Amino acid sequence: MPTHPRPLSPHLSAYRFTLTMTMSVVHRATGMALYAATVLLALWFIAGAFGDGALDVVHLIYGSWIGQIILFLATWSLFQHLVGGIAHLFWDFGSGFSREGRFGWSGATFIAGIVLTLLAWAVFVWF
Amino acid sequence: MSDISQKTIATPTTHYGAAKASTWGFIIQRVTGALNVVFTVFFIYLVVRLARAGSDTMSDILGNPLVLIVTAVMIISVALHMRIGMRDVIEDYVHSEKLNRLCLLLNTLFTVIVALATLAALAKLAFWG
Repeated sequence: MPTHPRPLSPHLSAYRFTLTMTMSVVHRATGMALYAATVLLALWFIAGAFGDGALDVVHLIYGSWIGQIILFLATWSLFQHLVGGIAHLFWDFGSGFSREGRFGWSGATFIAGIVLTLLAWAVFVWF
Repeated sequence: MSDISQKTIATPTTHYGAAKASTWGFIIQRVTGALNVVFTVFFIYLVVRLARAGSDTMSDILGNPLVLIVTAVMIISVALHMRIGMRDVIEDYVHSEKLNRLCLLLNTLFTVIVALATLAALAKLAFWG
């Protein structure tokens, strides 16, 4: 079967930055970040399977300040991608495409992503 | 790389692109995405419960069949979702045909290895403490 090259996607430089466009880019970027972050989850369980010695190393690295910053950003990526994904599911059903709908959804996901991240860390880590 | 005209893309008779794989990806991406929304609630419970825990506690928690099965299905759902997501990005931005194929192959390898390694670790913790 002959294969054809895919249609080319315009790069970021072709667009004017708007809220909806920015949140679309953020959705992809957080998706890519989560793709990488699955390695952290895998390493945690693998260390657990090897025993407490390996687990201590993971606790040390993940508990360090740089580890905590990465986990915090991973948490934000997770929640941002989650609420962004819910907005996309609504859009898939053809609703929310008015000007208010588009900007409302995009703005709401950005705020919800930050609020959920801070809430999760406040409840489970900080306090 | 040959130039593709808009007409080639728009005309159904050229059978442009991978029809079956793309439709499958479109559906699976949305099904796993919706599933992963629900899995996130479980994931938060799991991470909070196992944070700073030793391997004994990990084995206890994952020894519960319900926790083990939900965790395993979650890993598979996430792996499917992220493979399709990365494939979309590769298709959009890696245009050279050889590099494109290589990236798609590495993407599949990465997701399969991450998923299998995690599932193996879960099985070890659950069944052999």
